[in-house]
Amino acid sequence: MADMNDKIAQLENFIMKKCLWQFHSRAWDRKNQNENILRMTGELLCGETVNTDSPTDRCYWVDAAYLADSFREKFDWLASMSNKEIKALFVALKERMDFVTVDGSLNAELTDPRY
Amino acid sequence: MPYHEFDCSKCIPERKKHAVDKGPEDDLTKALPLGYLNTIPGSISERGCAYCGAKHVIGTPMKDVIHISHGPVGCTYDTWQTKRYISDNDNFQLKATFATDVKEKHIVFGAEKLLKQNIIEAFRAYPDIKRMTIYQTCATALIGDDIDAIAQEVMDEMPDVDIFVCNSPGFAGPSQSGGHHKINIAWINNKVGTVEPKITSDYVINYVGEYNIQGDQEVMQDYFRRMGIQILSTFTGNGSYDELRSMHGAHLNVLECARSAEYICNELRVRYGIPRLDIDGFGFEPLSSSLLKIGRFFGIEDRAQKIIDEETARWKPELDWYKERLMGKRVCIWPGGSKLWHWANVIHEEMGVKVVSVYTKFGHQGDMEKGIARCEQGALAIDDPNELESLEAMYKLKPDVIFTGKRPGEVAKKIRVPYLNAHAYHNGPYKGYEGWVRFARDIYNAIYSPIHQLSYLDISRDDIPGDGGFRTQRMISDVNLSQEVRTSKNLREYTGKYDTISPLREKTYPEFNK
Ligand code: SF4
Repeated sequence: MADMNDKIAQLENFIMKKCLWQFHSRAWDRKNQNENILRMTGELLCGETVNTDSPTDRCYWVDAAYLADSFREKFDWLASMSNKEIKALFVALKERMDFVTVDGSLNAELTDPRY
Repeated sequence: MPYHEFDCSKCIPERKKHAVDKGPEDDLTKALPLGYLNTIPGSISERGCAYCGAKHVIGTPMKDVIHISHGPVGCTYDTWQTKRYISDNDNFQLKATFATDVKEKHIVFGAEKLLKQNIIEAFRAYPDIKRMTIYQTCATALIGDDIDAIAQEVMDEMPDVDIFVCNSPGFAGPSQSGGHHKINIAWINNKVGTVEPKITSDYVINYVGEYNIQGDQEVMQDYFRRMGIQILSTFTGNGSYDELRSMHGAHLNVLECARSAEYICNELRVRYGIPRLDIDGFGFEPLSSSLLKIGRFFGIEDRAQKIIDEETARWKPELDWYKERLMGKRVCIWPGGSKLWHWANVIHEEMGVKVVSVYTKFGHQGDMEKGIARCEQGALAIDDPNELESLEAMYKLKPDVIFTGKRPGEVAKKIRVPYLNAHAYHNGPYKGYEGWVRFARDIYNAIYSPIHQLSYLDISRDDIPGDGGFRTQRMISDVNLSQEVRTSKNLREYTGKYDTISPLREKTYPEFNK
């Protein structure tokens, strides 16, 4: 578990320093972003085909592709993980991102119903 | 992440929740400064008003438009020419400013007639310009002038003109940010969708939240054109009024300053299904990954990669020359709302400086989340600082340079801290690969200015050394560098030209098959 937490922390730190997609201005946006971009990143890292048919999906995918490339380059421990382990890691990472950016967030604007 | 209480603000206890120190093991769920709230009475804020946010930041960078303020002349004068958003049509929007010059008698008897007369006069004075934006101010909002009705009357009488009304008087929000919001929403409600888009490429973007400060937009436009991407509209730097009316025709919204313009991107996504991609135009790595993402979206990442390779090879040795000399220098990123997060990480990684503080004058908590997430441990993050807090922070943190606006910048100079203009730049543009080197050069010049070094001597107190001779920048900056770095053939000082923008306007671009 400690190992898993350490891995999540490394991935989270990278996202926080390099990405902007996790900080959309509303809770539902953030949940969508976390869900789709992290799911696709996991799929890419497992060598699966990602659905990029709609413009919305393509937009998630370009952020996911950047993440997948960067993670592969920076975290060589990923190469020794099975697809099942990677999937589990990304489920946990998504939970953590949801907590930091939505459920545990102190940002009072997230629940404003309008943009 | 504990809240940070300033000694000077102990008498304003509400201020305590507006600053935090980023400590080890902390995350954003432990503490986050409050944001986007009314300034606390007694705190001398550095903010602008909601009219300023709408007009000065977002409206007036539009280039082919008469921008007129309906109110006292002071409102418009104070929002004129203090930000260098240039344009490729001879800077019309910077050269002239317009106001209805409302006086006391108009407050008593109404100013609508005066407004109509001014609109017509302005169109007659500039017969080539057929588009206008009108900005409400506090005084005319309070007397209830119906600007929309007057604008409609004029449009009925002069069918070749189009007028946009922005109802964002100074009091319509806690800061300029309230005005950003209002003009974003007003533009999408009233103008987007009223002109048919002219599509010339298979790859079409709106470039949003980009204000062409000293040519930033034109630098990025150059990359997009080299990739065969059409910028349908830029919101709003160097942007054209009618192109902005056709924003609904783009395939992708590329968003730079989310603070000032995420609203319109969000609405374009909801109403027209155009996705929003947030990018960073500052710094080599963030810019490269941004270009690559846009390239990927359209399936032309090879074109992006070509630009990245060419530009990196050309400019990286120059960036690294400065990095060697800026390593470990302490900087405060104290801008308005977005540069704290655009710069916080990349300036540390690519220039080697230590970010000791980030602040935002009008940012929301979301900007603080981004800024704090991106800066290193130990940084002090402040929302809507007052002048005394800024001074206290500078005395405590001892920065080598701060990046901020010109009002707090002049305060910093008084205590001998050099500053660079984060809003309008010193010798920009700062976007793009070359721009990032120009920023590094400005930082180097600020920190190692021989003249500035003299300001550290107090002639009423200090002995003035008379035997050292004049010390050049290189003598000061290179003193601790190794021989290898000092004489490196791989590194070089900035070699670009004074004017990097004019040549771009003459440039021709490759035709890509559709
Ligand atoms: S606060 Fe009101 S009066 Fe002052 S500049 Fe802004 S619009 Fe004008």
